Amino acid sequence: MKFSSVHYLVKKGIDNVVRNKMMAFASFCVLLVSLLLVGVSVLAYLNVNSIIGGVEQKNEIAIYLQDGIPNEMIEHFGDNLRGLPNVADVVFYSKEEALDDFKARMADSDMLFDSLNGENPLPDAYRVRVADIQHISETVSTIAKFEGVDSIDAPYDFVNSLLQIRKVLMAVMGTLILAMVIVSIVIISSTTKTSVYSRREEIQIMKYVGATDAFIRFPFFVEGMVTGFFAGCIAFLVTWGVYTAVTNALQNQTLVLNIIGTGSIIQFTDIILPIAISYMAVGALIGALGCAISTKRYINV
Amino acid sequence: MVELKDVSVKYSTGVDALNHINLRINDGDFAFVVGSSGAGKSTMIKLLLKEIDATEGTVCVNGYHLNKLKRRKIPELRRTIGIVFQDFRLIPTMTVYENIAFVLRVIDAPTKYIKKRVAYVIGLVGLQDKAKHFPSELSGGEMQRVAIARALVNDPKLIIADEPTGNIDPELSFEIVELLKSINACGTTILMVTHEHELVRHFGGRIINIDNGEIVFDDIMEGTDEI
Repeated sequence: MKFSSVHYLVKKGIDNVVRNKMMAFASFCVLLVSLLLVGVSVLAYLNVNSIIGGVEQKNEIAIYLQDGIPNEMIEHFGDNLRGLPNVADVVFYSKEEALDDFKARMADSDMLFDSLNGENPLPDAYRVRVADIQHISETVSTIAKFEGVDSIDAPYDFVNSLLQIRKVLMAVMGTLILAMVIVSIVIISSTTKTSVYSRREEIQIMKYVGATDAFIRFPFFVEGMVTGFFAGCIAFLVTWGVYTAVTNALQNQTLVLNIIGTGSIIQFTDIILPIAISYMAVGALIGALGCAISTKRYINV
Repeated sequence: MVELKDVSVKYSTGVDALNHINLRINDGDFAFVVGSSGAGKSTMIKLLLKEIDATEGTVCVNGYHLNKLKRRKIPELRRTIGIVFQDFRLIPTMTVYENIAFVLRVIDAPTKYIKKRVAYVIGLVGLQDKAKHFPSELSGGEMQRVAIARALVNDPKLIIADEPTGNIDPELSFEIVELLKSINACGTTILMVTHEHELVRHFGGRIINIDNGEIVFDDIMEGTDEI
C-alpha cells in the first residue's frame, strides 16, 4: 500500500469519527466507562498490594543469644545475619537495653527488680526484618544453625495471617479486574457491532468496487483507535482528579494512616506516566480491535 | 469477455436458479438481459461478481476463471468490472467526488491521476456542479449518473448495470441508456439487466432472455427508436 493510500485511509478514519458522531460518541462513552472500571480496579489492586507490603515490612524476628558468648562472636553473628539473602534489616539489642526497656515498662514493680540483686537475666539479642515474609521459615531455619543461638522468636501467626489476607485479596481483586475486562470487551464489541452494522451497506459497496479486506477495515481500525485514544485521555484525567481527591481526604484520616502506614498509599504523581500511557494505549487498542473484529462479519460479500 | 459454459446454480434451499446455461459476451458488446422476477438474472450477476459459485459448469470473466479464483483474488477481478445498481448504492457519507474517487483509491492510483480522472468522468455524466454534493442532495437520475461515473472511472473492461433505470423517472431512463451506449461506443462491454421492454425495443441490439433459469432467447434485434 502506498503512503498516499495510508494517508487517505487514516484521514478517512478520522473523518468517519466526525461523520458518524453519534455512534462514535456511544463507543466513546462505553470505552470511557470500561476504562474507568478497569483503571480504578487496577489502582485499587496496586494500593492494596502496597498496603499489605507496608504491613509486611513490620515483621520482626527476635534471635536470643546464649549467655556469656564473647563480644567478637556477637559481632561476627551480626555480620553473618547481614550476609543472608532474605534479611533486610539487622539491629543489635543488648541485654542492658532490654533490661532498661523492661524496667521502663514495669515501672511499678521495683520489688521484682530488687530481687535480681543487680543481675541481668535477659539475653543479648538481634532483631531481624526479612525482605520477603513468604520465605521467613527458611531464613529462621538458617539462623537457627548459627553458633551461639539460644532461641528464636518468629511472628509465624502474623506472617500466616498476612499471607492469607493477601491471597484472598489478590484473588478477589484479580477476579474483579478480569470480570471488568470481560464485561468491557463484551459491551465494546456490541457497541462497535451496532456501529459497523449501520454501515454494512457501505462495506458491501467497497467490496463490489474491488476493495481488499484490509483496505475496508483500515479506516474502521483508525476510527476505533481515535475514539479509544480520546476515551483513554478523558479516563486518565477523571482518574487523576478522583484519585487525588481520595488520597488527599485520606491524608487527614490519622486513624486510617496508622493502620495502613503513611507510605503505603501510592501517590498519583509517582505513577502518572505509566497510568497515562496505559490508559491511552489500552483505549486505542481496545477501540481499534473492537472495530476491526466487528467489521469481519460484514466483510464476506 | 464473459463466458459461461453449461453453468448451473442450485441454492441450498433446493431452488435451481440457473440450469445449464451457455453464454458468451465478447469484448465491446452491448447486451440487454431481460426476464421476469426470479428468472435468474440476479443470480447471473452474483455469479459474474463471484458473490456465489456455480454448482456446475465454468465461468470466465475478463480472463479470470472464477471456478478456480481464490478469495484473495476477488478484489482484483472486481476491479475489472464496473457495477451499477438499481438502488445506486452510493456511500452516503461521501460526496459525489469522493464516491467516484474511492474506486481509484482502492487500486492505489496516484492522487494527481485521481483528481484528473474523476473530474473527467464527472464531466462525462454532466455533474460538474454537483461534485461536492452528498448523495442525499441529489435526484434519482443524478444518483444513477454518479453510480455510472463510479463504474466507469476505473476504465473497466465490463460494466454490469443491474436494472439501472428501475428507480428513476421513465424519461430519464432513456438518458441513462444513452449514456451507457456512449460508454459502450468507446469499447467497454456493457451488460444491462432490465425488465423495461420499451427501452429494449427502442434501443435494440443483443437481447438475452432468461426464463426459469434458462436462456430462452439470445439474438440481435433492430431498435424501433419509438418512445
